[in-house]
Amino acid sequence: MNSFTEINDKLIESTIEIFTGMVMMEIAVAGVPLAKLGPLKKSITGMVGLAGTHKGVLAVHFPQEVALAVTSNFLGMDVEEVNEDVQDAIGEIANMLGGNLKTILSDRGKDIQLSLPSTIFGDEYAFSSQAEGDQVILPFKAPAGLFYVEVELEP
Amino acid sequence: MAKNVLLVDDSSTMRKIISRSLRQAGLDFGEIYEAGDGQEALAVLEKESIDIVLSDINMPNMNGIEFLREKSNRPGIKDIPVFMISTETGEDIIGEAKSLGAVGALKKPFTPDKVNEVLGPLM
Repeated sequence: MNSFTEINDKLIESTIEIFTGMVMMEIAVAGVPLAKLGPLKKSITGMVGLAGTHKGVLAVHFPQEVALAVTSNFLGMDVEEVNEDVQDAIGEIANMLGGNLKTILSDRGKDIQLSLPSTIFGDEYAFSSQAEGDQVILPFKAPAGLFYVEVELEP
Repeated sequence: MAKNVLLVDDSSTMRKIISRSLRQAGLDFGEIYEAGDGQEALAVLEKESIDIVLSDINMPNMNGIEFLREKSNRPGIKDIPVFMISTETGEDIIGEAKSLGAVGALKKPFTPDKVNEVLGPLM
């Protein structure tokens, strides 16, 4: 599967499945895919790298208030600040999305390796890949606000 | 008799989610032990009375495949069943896990109903 339209559709399906089934949160697509995101303010990003037949990165960007709501739902307990639980939960969401992206890109995920998830957060940062490649940013709306799933793939 | 479960995942969030899913699925289990990677899991298995292991694959230090391989070489623990719970559910990697003794696999994300369906027979 190479068409980014097909990848988008499957990724949207996967994101909604993860949030509905595991985070126990209803989300919806919030408009058309974006070409670029501005600087991320008071946000946290979870990401995993892909290597092998497809190289690139999958990232999920949450404003901090959305990340706190997601983590609270995910863990079933109140979380009031960005701590290790929040980083771990957001990293795990990126990990699950990365696992699904592997399967979307390659026959049953063969020949693609996934890195361990990592997170970054701060008052203001930019997220960009050095590689010139295909990129898509999918906006989603959660009860606490918008968040974004971003995929960059080397050609 | 309720079975003791060892959860092996580098994500503390995922260990909590799996533990919650086991409870929500209504499965009859005893103690739940946790480990953050394959090395920690081997140490728990050598020390505690564990009936079934639920293990991730993609972990630091010692991943799920390396854990299965090492466990298969230890006579005292090699027969304890291991069920894989992972985003990694490609046929090649699950095939390798099964060849090393894994009894099944569950893909993340999962629901409590799915946990009940696939783990119920083992509990």
